[in-house]
Amino acid sequence: MSRVKDTVNFIHAWQHPEEIADEVDAELRFHVQMRTNANIEKGMAPHEAQLAARESFGDFDQIKASCCEIKRGFPFDSKRVRMGFYIAIACLAGGVALVAVNLPHHNLFGILWQLVAIAVLMRAFLIGRRKQ
Amino acid sequence: MSKAKAGILQGTLDMLILKALFPGPLHGYGIGQRIAQISGDELKIEEGSLYPGLYRLERRGWIESEWDVSANNQRAKFYKLTRSGRKQLIIEEQNWERLATATMKALRAN
Repeated sequence: MSRVKDTVNFIHAWQHPEEIADEVDAELRFHVQMRTNANIEKGMAPHEAQLAARESFGDFDQIKASCCEIKRGFPFDSKRVRMGFYIAIACLAGGVALVAVNLPHHNLFGILWQLVAIAVLMRAFLIGRRKQ
Repeated sequence: MSKAKAGILQGTLDMLILKALFPGPLHGYGIGQRIAQISGDELKIEEGSLYPGLYRLERRGWIESEWDVSANNQRAKFYKLTRSGRKQLIIEEQNWERLATATMKALRAN
């Protein structure tokens, strides 16, 4: 997967955690359903088959949480790329802060620009904080 | 021989998943079944290892996934090997063979 695609997927996963959770949930439920069907084919009663399938699956919520965590995790393994990402975020935050401080504050346009700058800085802060 | 239900090293699990996907796309349940089948029912991959393993491999770009309809008409997420996944499988197999040969040599030494 290209780095651009990785980054786009990472931002999407970060912005829509509920979509990722639903997708993982559906995938794991499919697995339990398949195991239930297999148990029924072996001669178990449907209720018993479902219970056995859930038991053999293990801790559903914990497995789901692990998968979501990996899916939402930072996409780059390399320390150099990771460092580059941090530097890019820091440069962006610095640039935006510089623009915000130097804009005129006496008109609506300037105030709107400052609000945009604050939003960008908050987002950069949240992305940086999520990596910890 | 007792079945190796747990304690499969992560690298080995990665290789087994890649190997299971070599013939074609499969969903998570199918991958577990395929591994059991090709190992003569000696290896059973716990779901708690299988799914995080699949997500890790997808993150590395060795496999990719898409939603499709399964044989029993249910929506399922299918995984398939990417080109880099195929290359990685060859590397993993070579490493494994080297390790197994060296270990056997060490075990047979007097």
